[in-house]
Amino acid sequence: MTNILSYGISLPHFRVDSSTLNPSRGRKQEQRAVIFVDEDPITLAYDAANKCLANFAAAESGHKKIDAVLFATTTPVFQNRYHASFLAELLDIPNGILALDFTSSLRAGTDALILADQLLTTGKYERVLLLAADTYFPAIGEELAPSLRTGHAGCALLLSREDGFASIAASRSYSSFIAEDFVYKGSAVQPDARFGRDAGFKSSVKHALNDFLEHTSAEAADFDAVILNSIFARSGAGPFLKNGFNAEKQFFRDILAAQFGFSGACHALMLLIHSLEREAERVLLFDCGNGTNVIDIKRIRPASPALSRQLDKGETVTSYQDYLLLRQAGNVNLKSATKQDMFSSDMMLEREKKNLLQLQGFACTGCGTVYFLKTMRCKNCKCEKFDVRKLEKTGIVFSFTREHYFPSSFAPVTMVVVDLDGGGRVTLQLTDDMYASGTRENPIGARVQLVLRKMMEQDKKPNYFWKCRFY
Amino acid sequence: MNKTESPNIAIIGTGCTKFGELFSKSYDDLVRDAVTEALDDAKISIDLVDAAWLSTAFPEIGVFKGRSGMDLAEPLSLYDLPVTRVSNYCASGADAIRNGVNALMAHNCDVVLALGVEKLRDRPPQDSIVKMMVEYGHPYYQKGFTAAGTFAIYANRHFKEYGVTREDLAAVSVKNHYHGTLNPKAHHRRECTVDQVLSSPMVADPLTVYDSCPTTDGASCVILVRAEDVDPSKHVPIFVKGIGLSVSTGWDMPFFDPNHDFLSFRATQQAAERAYTQAGIADPLNEIDLAEVHDCFSIVELLTYEDLGFCKPGEAKEMIRGNSTARDGELPVNVSGGLLSCGHPVGATGVRMVTEIATHLRNRAGERQVEGAKVGLAQNIGGPGAIASVTILSNEV
Repeated sequence: MTNILSYGISLPHFRVDSSTLNPSRGRKQEQRAVIFVDEDPITLAYDAANKCLANFAAAESGHKKIDAVLFATTTPVFQNRYHASFLAELLDIPNGILALDFTSSLRAGTDALILADQLLTTGKYERVLLLAADTYFPAIGEELAPSLRTGHAGCALLLSREDGFASIAASRSYSSFIAEDFVYKGSAVQPDARFGRDAGFKSSVKHALNDFLEHTSAEAADFDAVILNSIFARSGAGPFLKNGFNAEKQFFRDILAAQFGFSGACHALMLLIHSLEREAERVLLFDCGNGTNVIDIKRIRPASPALSRQLDKGETVTSYQDYLLLRQAGNVNLKSATKQDMFSSDMMLEREKKNLLQLQGFACTGCGTVYFLKTMRCKNCKCEKFDVRKLEKTGIVFSFTREHYFPSSFAPVTMVVVDLDGGGRVTLQLTDDMYASGTRENPIGARVQLVLRKMMEQDKKPNYFWKCRFY
Repeated sequence: MNKTESPNIAIIGTGCTKFGELFSKSYDDLVRDAVTEALDDAKISIDLVDAAWLSTAFPEIGVFKGRSGMDLAEPLSLYDLPVTRVSNYCASGADAIRNGVNALMAHNCDVVLALGVEKLRDRPPQDSIVKMMVEYGHPYYQKGFTAAGTFAIYANRHFKEYGVTREDLAAVSVKNHYHGTLNPKAHHRRECTVDQVLSSPMVADPLTVYDSCPTTDGASCVILVRAEDVDPSKHVPIFVKGIGLSVSTGWDMPFFDPNHDFLSFRATQQAAERAYTQAGIADPLNEIDLAEVHDCFSIVELLTYEDLGFCKPGEAKEMIRGNSTARDGELPVNVSGGLLSCGHPVGATGVRMVTEIATHLRNRAGERQVEGAKVGLAQNIGGPGAIASVTILSNEV
């Protein structure tokens, strides 16, 4: 039996109101989560994974036992490199694991969940870390099109046969020839909408539901939450009603899409987590898109409200111009938005990844002073022996400045010198500081947390490093 | 000879170009102008020079000149002798002189030419130092800083620990800009007020444009010989009584060093200790008549008072509030106008400071002359407070 041990949710700091995206059509109460300029699916997935592992009681020994990392997105950063491998490296998961990406479909998140279930069921894998993140930006002006109500999010699930708070009773995948929309030879192809809905979605759901009920012992009355994740969800009730489901009592309402948008490949997982937080005892999850995935989940004990807690957080983007700045689009010809190509090096990253990405520092064995940079001799006591020490990701600002001339979309760039909890000092950029509320007049003494972000906007290669934000 | 012994070396010639945005002068022109002035002052032929040091800190952000000693030899047609390029950030110029002093003391040569030159304004100002901070170096550490920011974080600690104020920093700028009006070779020759400093555009909080030195072209040169080779009939010698240089941290380390308090530059303290020992100075405030210190940003001059022992830690603000370092004060500092007025052609600055002190000690400084000056000090800080040089000069052997 596959169990969910823990999970983590990553939502970006900023939200944009529908009414900002389109004053004539947007509804004020609807929001989309939108990434800051230095975020992408890698940083969201990393953040979610960290929270997931921290939520797992035996986190320290936990991540060493992970032997598969699966990553789902429809907005990949790399073309010829597995994001899962890269994330495993970031998370200090030992080499030699199974790392796979799931892309190309909105149901990629549950594809990964089904494979995780299979891997664990075979008994050949111990722990699977499932990561999903999506950062799709619709075309300018198309943000409110019904099929494109996209928001940005990431989530992580740690799965194992060990005791968890929920378990997967059954999981099946039903492929389909018809995709609701796809890209062919570089152009988006939108088949007839009703063809996609009726011949694609409706037919696939019906087949999946009938087959699932036929081949498992589950019955309609067993479930207290049915999740139907699709842009056509409203048209999908028919087969369920015919099989004895009660739409009113059993259908789980997607209130997340209105809170942070439809989060692509991780949305079904988000809904699943949300239903478990809402104390659903048994969930039947249908995730649709170019076919249907069906997953039957039983809750064993209450889940921590990690998702619910994050829903009302975030800062609202006040204008469409600021939204365009965030997505780095439009003719942004401001002095404060200068950019410059910057040097980045895969060779350096590979050589220094333990230090740069995993925050591995050095503790002097003589006096205990902790250094982030490798040093030959302790500056304090001249001792030459150091122990490797993983640095904490929280700390207190010792000094700061705001740089008004460093090229950036959001000048000034605030630089802070941070004394980390447990020792070590780093100097980093502040992030999520598009508005004054993200910064402080004098931040000396303020508490900050480190977050992994893209270091440079005009990088030639991925350049992930630490920035920090107040908390 | 040992490291505590005073070098018995004399400066017999000095030369310094106008500092500024010298659009009509090339790197080579600046070299020739400074050297010609110094040789004329020393009343010697260039053929007597038998070793030379060139200081240019940033060839790569200028015109790619100054990467080696040959860029000094070529414009002068000065061939068939050892010429070495010295690079030690903003302390490069002082280090060129130090190398010349050491070679003379070792009797490795007899007449030394030490020249600093930097040609920054063949590019737009923000294409130079800012570009270096953005594009070069480690792609992760310190990204987000410009030079101003690396010193601004010291200012914010001084505010917190010592009660230094924005007005104290502005007072440094006001003083040096006033001094600059008296120096015909300064880049900026206009007075400013505290209000102007405070209301000028912010560069890196709390430092504004007026708290920051400009991007400047310039060159400066000295001719050095051993004291016994001075010809009293030709020369008005100035003697190098002490010269210290210290590298006390690194490029990245200051910002990642949990031991660092961002209140002082250990490099200056160490370089000063060495120079003071050589020169036999025990009470710098009373024994030194004037000083040129590295005011690339106003905060740097202020904390340097403490590092040089002009006052106790935390008391620099009293010196500036009491006008102790104005031209008519107890210990005049940056009577040339400093880097804030003269500008900062990086490789040239250290040599310019020495020529400025020499000019006062020879009583040739015109309306800015510090009357009766006998002993002077020049100090540079290089990199993020990592490297410092301190040179003590006297008009007596």
